[in-house]
Amino acid sequence: MRVLIVEDEPDLARQLRTALGDAGYAVDHAPDGEEAAFLGDTEPYDAIVLDLGLPKIDGVSVLEQWRRDGIATPVLILTARGAWSEKVAGFDAGADDYLTKPFHTEELLARLRALLRRSAGHASANLACGELRLDPKAARASVDGEPLRLTSLEYRLLHYLMMHQDRVISRTELVEHLYDQDFDRDSNTIEVFIGRLRKKIGADRIETVRGLGYRLICLPGEPN
Amino acid sequence: MKLRLPGKPSLVRRLILLATGWSLIVLLVAGIVLSAQFERAATDRLDTDLGSLADGLSAGIDVEGGVVVIPEVNDERFTRTFAGRYWQIAEVRADNVLVSVARSRSLGDTQLVLPPSGMAGLQATNKPVPYDAPGPVRPNGLGHQKLRASALLIRIDDNPPLIIMVAEDRTAVDREIRTFATTTAIALILLGLFIIAGVWIQVRVGLQPLFDLSREVSDVRNGRADRLAESYPAELAPLAQELNALVAHNHEVVERQRTHVGNLAHALKTPISVMMAEAGSHPGALADVVSRQSKAMHDHVEHHLQRARAAARAQGNREVTPVEPVIEELARTLERIFRDRGVSIDWRCPPDLGFRGERQDLLEIVGNVLENACKWSAGKVSVTVGTPETESFTLIIEDDGSGLPADRRAEVLKRGARLDEKTPGTGLGLSIVDELARAYGGSVSLGDSKLGGLHVELKLPRAEH
Repeated sequence: MRVLIVEDEPDLARQLRTALGDAGYAVDHAPDGEEAAFLGDTEPYDAIVLDLGLPKIDGVSVLEQWRRDGIATPVLILTARGAWSEKVAGFDAGADDYLTKPFHTEELLARLRALLRRSAGHASANLACGELRLDPKAARASVDGEPLRLTSLEYRLLHYLMMHQDRVISRTELVEHLYDQDFDRDSNTIEVFIGRLRKKIGADRIETVRGLGYRLICLPGEPN
Repeated sequence: MKLRLPGKPSLVRRLILLATGWSLIVLLVAGIVLSAQFERAATDRLDTDLGSLADGLSAGIDVEGGVVVIPEVNDERFTRTFAGRYWQIAEVRADNVLVSVARSRSLGDTQLVLPPSGMAGLQATNKPVPYDAPGPVRPNGLGHQKLRASALLIRIDDNPPLIIMVAEDRTAVDREIRTFATTTAIALILLGLFIIAGVWIQVRVGLQPLFDLSREVSDVRNGRADRLAESYPAELAPLAQELNALVAHNHEVVERQRTHVGNLAHALKTPISVMMAEAGSHPGALADVVSRQSKAMHDHVEHHLQRARAAARAQGNREVTPVEPVIEELARTLERIFRDRGVSIDWRCPPDLGFRGERQDLLEIVGNVLENACKWSAGKVSVTVGTPETESFTLIIEDDGSGLPADRRAEVLKRGARLDEKTPGTGLGLSIVDELARAYGGSVSLGDSKLGGLHVELKLPRAEH
């Protein structure tokens, strides 16, 4: 899961990066409206955390621009201005949720999880695929009740596959959603991670569709 | 509205007193002059009559061999005793001794006196000299008759000079003069009253713009108007303009302060956020203190931010906000916020209903109550707008949640109260609503809803739009 943080205050941005990184997200950061507009338009984020008071272009305008450009990525507005007139304006511009500063990091993470779940069309907080379980809140996964020991990237990979478990996911898509933009992207490393993940959850659970990508297999008869 | 300050004379009274004093003086002088004029004219007429009588007598007098021959005078008033008209002819002997030669029968045994100027005055002229003189004593003990007399000195050949004195009772003339004076006085008093009434009307009507101005200023202060009308007379228009400029300036200052407070408050929120997050990620004694204190800072910031917003309400404004679009926007937004819980907001509002106040305040009031209702509801929230009164409208917001026990309702309107720490929110919601509604002269009351949850009734100032 790849998230864009748009925040001009460096300390808060650093905290958010750390908190989201710890929760298993690949995180990009834009310190002003211009860069935010550009990144949001060009990179396929799974969610965006958007501060409204931004240098260069204000947050609402950036959001409106994304929506005009057809970017449907869920956006969580993070702002000091909590008046209803501002909330209504934010939602009218196309926001999906609204969090007022100061906020608790746990609340931000909970809202973000809800946003991601909703955009992927899942009803429950925990993800399941056969005996495979993933708890995004705790950033933990298990098979048959046995906790899995996953690295951060392995967790992100599994999370993404489980979020989109009914379709084939291309290698490029995985690269775009698992790494932040500063990462040295080499699609071959994806194969390495797929290999490691197969060892931990069982090789038959990830199917390679030649020329297209990968698909998570939820064994028939198992509850989904 | 009070025009008169204690201890300060009213302008109306001052103008009326001035006009009254001035017209009293003018009328008094006019009365005196008129009466004097009339008296003189009446006396002159009498004097002329008496003068011609004296002339007439003198023309008829002859001296034949030292004996004065008196013409026959048949006027009844000269013949009856004390009848009112008198004549006397006296001869001036040596050493200016007067010897009465003849007199009218009406005089009885009374003698007419000489004018105050005496013999010398008579000798200096050949015209009749008029004067006041005492007449015969009246029989009923009322003293002397008051006479107007005229004396004329004539010389016939070388005989000793003769003095002809003619007199008439002046009671009738005096009565005429008195009647005239009384009539004039009554007429002038009436005129004076008319003038005072006229001045009063003039002052009231003339100063009406001043009263209007005072009323309008009071309207502006009470928030019933946001500025004065510009339709004042030339003398007041500059004052009205200055007042408008002052009001505008005042608005501007408050608005600026409000913006400053808002900016400060919002600017503080990010650092507080950073501190809270930083403290949260490094557990320990220091972090606890920082967490607690930054929470307290946030509460203060939030409270004073709301106060600054509410303070601007006191300024009053004439803005009218249509209610329907506000409810529509809020319902749309909140259904979106609570879409995971499947909350549906059922609302109905008359399309022409207006709220007398700012849009952002109505959003804040209704938004907070509605958000609260959504938070606690099991899926159904209803908004009913009623207009039982012309000056206000009611907004009833109900939910089908678990409601709130009666004894805890007063608590939630207090600042920062939060009955359930687990439901996210600042806890300031309903207290802000209460503060805002009061600032607009409205109210918030809580009760039980038919739906099962809380019933919140808002009463807010109404306007048509």
